[in-house]
Amino acid sequence: MDNFYIKPGNQERGWNDPPQFSYDMQTSSVGPKRNVLNKRVPPPQLTGQSPGTGLPLSPAVSSGPSSSPGPPPVGGLTPPPPPKSRMSPGGVTGSVSAENEPNLSDVQAPLLWALTTCRQSVKKQVCDDVERRLKLFEEMWKSGKLSLAVKCRMNRLSQELNNKRWDAADDIHRSLMVDYVNEVSQWMVGVKRLIAETRNLNPELLHTEEAPSNAEEKLHKAEEALPQTEEAAQSNS
Amino acid sequence: MATFQEFIQQNEDRDGVRCSWNLWPSSRLEATRMVVPVSCLFTPLKERPNLPPVQYEPVLCSRATCKAVLNPLCQVDFRAKIWACNFCFQRNPFPPSYAGISEVNQPAELMPQFSTIEYIVQRGPAAPLVFLYVVDTCLEEEDLQALRESLQMSLSLLPPNALVGLITFGRMIQVHELSCEGISKSYVFRGTKELTPKQIHEMLGLMKPTTSVPQEAAASCRFLQPVHKVDLNLTDLLGELQRDPWPVPQGKRPLRSTGIALSIAVALLEGTFPNTGARMMLFTGGPPTQGPGMVVGDELKTPIRSWHDIQKDNAHHMKKAIKYHEALANRAAVNGHSIDIYACALDQTGLLEMKCLSNLTGGHIVMGDSFNTSLFKQTFQRVFSKDYNGEFRMAFGASLEVKEMGVGGTCQWKICSLNPSTTLALYFEVVNQHNSPIPQGGRGAIQFVTQYQHSNTQRRIRVTTIARNWADAQSQIQHIEASFDQEAAAVLMARLGVFRAESEEGPDVLRWLDRQLIRLCQKFGQYNKEDPNSFRLSESLSLYPQFMFHLRRSPFLQVFNNSPDESSYYRHQFVRQDLTQSLIMIQPILYSYSFHGPPEPVLLDSSSILPDHILLMDTFFQLVIYHGETIAQWRKAGYQEMPEYENFRQLLQAPVDDAQEILQTRFPMPRYIDTEHGGSQARFLLSKVNPSQTHNNLYAWGQEAGAPILTDDVSLQVFMDHLKKLAVSSSA
Repeated sequence: MDNFYIKPGNQERGWNDPPQFSYDMQTSSVGPKRNVLNKRVPPPQLTGQSPGTGLPLSPAVSSGPSSSPGPPPVGGLTPPPPPKSRMSPGGVTGSVSAENEPNLSDVQAPLLWALTTCRQSVKKQVCDDVERRLKLFEEMWKSGKLSLAVKCRMNRLSQELNNKRWDAADDIHRSLMVDYVNEVSQWMVGVKRLIAETRNLNPELLHTEEAPSNAEEKLHKAEEALPQTEEAAQSNS
Repeated sequence: MATFQEFIQQNEDRDGVRCSWNLWPSSRLEATRMVVPVSCLFTPLKERPNLPPVQYEPVLCSRATCKAVLNPLCQVDFRAKIWACNFCFQRNPFPPSYAGISEVNQPAELMPQFSTIEYIVQRGPAAPLVFLYVVDTCLEEEDLQALRESLQMSLSLLPPNALVGLITFGRMIQVHELSCEGISKSYVFRGTKELTPKQIHEMLGLMKPTTSVPQEAAASCRFLQPVHKVDLNLTDLLGELQRDPWPVPQGKRPLRSTGIALSIAVALLEGTFPNTGARMMLFTGGPPTQGPGMVVGDELKTPIRSWHDIQKDNAHHMKKAIKYHEALANRAAVNGHSIDIYACALDQTGLLEMKCLSNLTGGHIVMGDSFNTSLFKQTFQRVFSKDYNGEFRMAFGASLEVKEMGVGGTCQWKICSLNPSTTLALYFEVVNQHNSPIPQGGRGAIQFVTQYQHSNTQRRIRVTTIARNWADAQSQIQHIEASFDQEAAAVLMARLGVFRAESEEGPDVLRWLDRQLIRLCQKFGQYNKEDPNSFRLSESLSLYPQFMFHLRRSPFLQVFNNSPDESSYYRHQFVRQDLTQSLIMIQPILYSYSFHGPPEPVLLDSSSILPDHILLMDTFFQLVIYHGETIAQWRKAGYQEMPEYENFRQLLQAPVDDAQEILQTRFPMPRYIDTEHGGSQARFLLSKVNPSQTHNNLYAWGQEAGAPILTDDVSLQVFMDHLKKLAVSSSA
């Protein structure tokens, strides 16, 4: 799962810039903290002990920083349960996605179906704008400008839309805007609008235009809808 | 009976209140002798996942000068259906809807576990939230691109029914008309000409709202439109924002008319949405250099004012600029509008002069190096963070009323914007005359009533009622001492110190702080006169001197080594955070990780710096992971990559995991520093720890553990020695 990842900060522009967490990592951290670092140690002087000379916390360590130490001690600590995704010391990690690249037409079909359904009641100008952005999405996909992570998440978004799970689809759109804004900013607002308009449609419209179950049929149906609107747009300009 | 520590914690968890004293001295004279005033830290909107709000109006005392809310401290006659106000003793009949109450069927607001309770009230139609972006275009292209993307992203994070607007500025100011049509229009203003609100309204063609219904007003304002309607066009508009076109000659700064831009923004919201929750967000990449409110001229050879300039009265624009921004801030505050400042630049941007915009309205200040940094991007995302119910944490248009027993008067403050961690400090004066009897009931009570607009547009009222026992200071001084909350007291005194530091000379504030500490030790320490070695403090005060020591060295009271903007920023964060975060800022947390045992807190002292330990320091503004010399050498040799040294890899990972937990939630995001013995970034740790070993005393100590710090600062030991001497002395 590549939803939980951490990228390094921009050390060139900001000194000691902190690492950047993905949207899912930030939103899933609501709830009780695992560790609460809030304890302090009183100085020894005020609790009746003799004035301290500092608290040596380890046995005397050999002095002489120039001599190289032996290797660290082996064994002893039991590993704690690892959290979903972790920063690594001195650097950061991301988990490698093991998902295969989804099929563009699979991803597009529910989007185009939704758009077609919207055309019946939503303002033409809005639908045309959404359509323009969906085309841009398609072009960027085909010309290799979209990363695998974006493609996979869009695939999931499409599926959620297809299953009428509007909140889930909306959440994925948000996570894409937060995590991959430079790839998606130009067209994602179209997807956002599409989700918003589709969920507000009269439920009857959604059921009569039930999305077909296989991908080819979906695509065929969607393509049928397209040529007319394209011609209409050309004749208006 | 629970200990005072447990009592303090339970009260904070339930009511969001921490009092300096949990037994109150019963006369004014005794209260002043306690040195630390009777005061409390109050978090009005503390997150309470187990407190569902009730859906009815609160019941109020009928006395016109009282109007306290029914609470668990009130006496109730269930048969006669009458309740006695615990603040003014008025007897009030219950409203008809309470006819069915009895001892076994009590309304929630009478039960002790609901000393804090929240009411949802219907007061007219729900008003939408308004967000107005005010964007500086005098940025480098890389920064502007990053800012464009962050703003586009924020459109997906805003509540869909919120209204949004855009003003851009550089040398000129552009107010953008947002519409659903294809053509974009904007109104342009000169950056040098100051206009009255009326003139601005006329030039923008703003009609007086013909109706008081905010939703209808929305339709009539072309500059503030619902996100769900204009997101398509606004995304494109943001994507096409250009850098300010006026060329910047060599040796000059860009002409930035922030002052006029802000005045137009304030006027726009004043004219369209007075008394509605609204948030102005200023994004700026440099100081105002033109027009009213300018902080520095456009000649680069004239640097922006430093503390030295201010102390020598050499900051020519400062007073005027502060006055200008204060006037704007007051206008915004009166209308319930808050102003955020997101300032990202390598040099100062004028936060000293502009901070009142946020401080007086409850807005955020975020300070970064560039808009193209994770620190800005993620901090900005967190402005829109949601709580356990999936609702936005930000709240608007709050008013806080504080009612105390017997006085009859009520104090009220306006807080235009707040979130679950916003914490106020309140200082009380005991007015009872010396030697007069303890008031009836034996307890003092305070009620906090916070009315606010929730982010889901509901109007809510949260009522917190607390009580503490009065105590006679003559006979019960040990009990009063045991009730001392040293953590709360440290933060409350620190806030007083910061307040003083804004208007007094630095050394005077330190002297005042030292005097209070000495007096407190004289009053509550156990010692034999003139014998410093006999001095002891009880457990309830044992951490307090250390807090004061670190406070004296903190950036809140020491401006040395910080720019005026940095000092303003640190102080801004300090006076609004809750107790835990404020304490971290005063005295950073230090945890030590090693093979010798589990992670443990250690003294913030140079003796904690050891070759085979890793230290994690949290100052709130920075998270520092410091690898001791041996650890650093092992890491360099790569032992963590070898499977047989898995435990070393885990040791390296442990502080990183703990840091991650903090990084994922803190607002604003801290800097993250990974350093080691001898590293240049180690200075962040070295400057914070108590320098118990310096080049002056290394050989005097005669020990080998720990790392010496090159400084002339006084150490905690020397500070404590002086303190003890002064406390036990009869002549101090």
